[in-house]
Amino acid sequence: MELKRTVKFEADRDPEFARWISHTVGGERIRHCLQCGLCSGSCPLSLYMDYTPRRLMHLSREGFKEEVLSSSSIWLCTACYACMVECPKKINITHLMYALKQRAIEERFYPKRFPIPVMAQQFSRMVRGSGRITESWLIVRVFLRTAIWRLLGMSGLGLRLFRAGRMTLKPEKIERRAEIISMLDSVAATRKELAL
Amino acid sequence: MPEIPSSAIESSRERPRIGVYVCHCGTNIAGIVDVRAIVEFAAKLPGVVVSRDYKYMCSDPGQALIQQDIAEHHLNRVIVASCSPLLHEATFRRVLSRAGLNAFLLQMVNIREHVSWVHLNQREATEKTKDLVRAAVRRVSLHKPLQKRRVSINPHVLVVGGGIAGIHAALTLAEAGKQVYLVEREPTIGGHMAKFDKTFPTLDCAACILTPKMTAVGSHPRIHLWTYSEVVRVEGYVGNYKVKVRRKPRYVIEDLCLGCQECVTACVYKEAKNPDEFNLGLSKRKPVYLPFPQAVPQKVVIDPQTCIQFKSGKCKKTCVEACGDRKAIDFTQKETIEDIEVGTIILATGFKTFDPVRNPYYGYGRYANVYTSLEVERLINASGPTAGEIVLRDGGQPKAVGIIHCVGSRDANTNRWCSKVCCMYSLKLAHLIKERTGAEVYNFYIDMRTPGKGYEEFYDRLLDEGVHFVRGRVAEVSDWATHPSEKGRLVIRVEDTLAAFVRRIPVDMVVLSVGMEPQPDAQDVRRLFNISCSTEGWFLERHPKLAPVSTFTEGVYIAGACQGPKDIPDSVAQAGAAAAEAMALIDAQFVELEPYTAFISEDQCSGCKTCIPLCPYQAISYMEEKKKAAINEVLCKGCGTCVAGCPSGSIQQNFFEDEEIFEEIEGVLAYA
Repeated sequence: MELKRTVKFEADRDPEFARWISHTVGGERIRHCLQCGLCSGSCPLSLYMDYTPRRLMHLSREGFKEEVLSSSSIWLCTACYACMVECPKKINITHLMYALKQRAIEERFYPKRFPIPVMAQQFSRMVRGSGRITESWLIVRVFLRTAIWRLLGMSGLGLRLFRAGRMTLKPEKIERRAEIISMLDSVAATRKELAL
Repeated sequence: MPEIPSSAIESSRERPRIGVYVCHCGTNIAGIVDVRAIVEFAAKLPGVVVSRDYKYMCSDPGQALIQQDIAEHHLNRVIVASCSPLLHEATFRRVLSRAGLNAFLLQMVNIREHVSWVHLNQREATEKTKDLVRAAVRRVSLHKPLQKRRVSINPHVLVVGGGIAGIHAALTLAEAGKQVYLVEREPTIGGHMAKFDKTFPTLDCAACILTPKMTAVGSHPRIHLWTYSEVVRVEGYVGNYKVKVRRKPRYVIEDLCLGCQECVTACVYKEAKNPDEFNLGLSKRKPVYLPFPQAVPQKVVIDPQTCIQFKSGKCKKTCVEACGDRKAIDFTQKETIEDIEVGTIILATGFKTFDPVRNPYYGYGRYANVYTSLEVERLINASGPTAGEIVLRDGGQPKAVGIIHCVGSRDANTNRWCSKVCCMYSLKLAHLIKERTGAEVYNFYIDMRTPGKGYEEFYDRLLDEGVHFVRGRVAEVSDWATHPSEKGRLVIRVEDTLAAFVRRIPVDMVVLSVGMEPQPDAQDVRRLFNISCSTEGWFLERHPKLAPVSTFTEGVYIAGACQGPKDIPDSVAQAGAAAAEAMALIDAQFVELEPYTAFISEDQCSGCKTCIPLCPYQAISYMEEKKKAAINEVLCKGCGTCVAGCPSGSIQQNFFEDEEIFEEIEGVLAYA
């Protein structure tokens, strides 16, 4: 049995993280959280989560960055918005989850070959590159970076989709791709500004 | 006292003609008691002329039914089997009066609280009801016509305690034209509220809203303000209380002192040396002092414990010199006893705060920077010891402050109750401390309780201000560092139950949000005024919902935190209610008392005087010439002590005469 220190010192807190979260899109009202637990109760995925959404809210605003960013919960969120619709303090929990995902990706707070952040990264890279998503190539890229053998397992389904004309290997692109790049850059700049 | 008409006495001596009325009370009674069976049973009892049931006897048609029967069947006794007499005895007595019968020829049988609500078995409940009805029938046959007594009400009111509740009650009554005696133990009125800095949730300054009321009390022509005084004796009864008030010597003649405080400046002690009670010892005062700048009355006090003149008799008396021609200082002043007569009394004696020394694990008294919330109120008050600066006992300014809720509340080791005000004042202190020092502020709470107008909104505001809320009862405050960041600081150890791990939080200042307790002498005070206390020691109201400011002693009312933990708006509301109750009694000019007094059969009384010391109301005297005891009907409360104590059985009590009680007992026991 391995014994680890579980008590938290104030030095374990990252006040910068707490400040950042309350300035991020979705985090504006996190300080108002009453810890009622409605979000956790309404979340269809909370049964698999290590930290329930309620606990994530508390840990985030107190600045326990490591616990929050290494939590599986932020990746399990499917953005169904059930929590947000009912939150009595109107906290934009789903948006907050997105902010946490981005921060976790930026700071590389996820297990190697974990498909969800890889998917998110590849998705945004593809949009930036061609302005559109080509689903076949997106899937291929994700599985190449996470679990290549899963690609073989899914080949049957892929073939059927090709035959039905629901998927194509031809990369889709938009015109004036420079414009979408400048849009994305300006969003990123604004985000940086907002987060202090 | 109005005489009982002789016709009424005549009719009661006639053969009893009894009407029995059984109430269904919807399904409250009829759901478990076989009402029809009772009606049939009662109809066969001796003396019963009419026996009926009805869905709601207390309703207008129900009352009309009884009234009609009295006229038609010439009833001279009535039995109503329904709810507790506490609820509807007065209703049915009025029915008898309207029908021309003496109201005391009624007997109620409580078959709801005593039967249907406490029994599950229908057959047994019905049998028990029969026994109770039979007992009532046998008893009521012996009832005699009685007359309620009237006593007049003295319009003067005594208010005990000069905190916000006492002040508000006194002002309300005085404004209504009543003469009020306001007695306060301390040298100034104002109570706890005068010590506060701001009030929640509006954050208006406590002094700004309190001092105008204090000044109004001090200058009101109809308020006799006696500070530094205590009630020592209370005699009499509703409407006619005789009270003795002890006025302690302040060694300053109140009428001559202008409150200029030149004596304070001139005192031989150049530096103030004695702990200032008003600032809870956080600053010093001289032996001659004014409790605080806005004290009412603006009269100085001399403390004989610390004044050199009292200790050695060899002082230069520079204070007397400074006072000069005003001659307000009088070292020979003695305590005096004032006798007053009042009709009603309002007790607003307040509370005391919990002494956190009883929770040693929070380090109060051991670590300099652990404070009680009341001390912090003084610390952040502009007229307090540091002029509003938050300076710690060790001279520093705090960078992090922990506020610990529920100290001496919700704890089976100390006090089990929730003190109700601590959550809100802790939020207020958190706001003020953050505003003044910019420190990180942590609130450690078990539950956040903010019911009240604008209270939850205030909590929401504090959440937004970035105050930390850690849910958990703090286990320990210590100076034992286990991490470099904790060196030289106070460490709070607590489980953050929302994060589900234990945290150690180093702070520079700890505020203990102490709860409210009954005054240490609450038991003496309740005995003095002949009222009751709950097991915790709070003054007991007559009914927790419907008579919240009345007590079991007629004419004595309670207001404010002496009845239980309360914030300022609740205390003021209660004070207003108590004043209104007192005024209702005064404006009625008289009060009717139940005629259940004791009386002596003179020919049987042996004059043994056993009863005289037994009477708690001094209602029995001894007639020397006849060598018999006599009972003063006005003073007699009908407690029955003398009846039980009389060795010759010569004292009887109206409505509870021996034969009435024996008949009732036999009725219960006479199984059909």
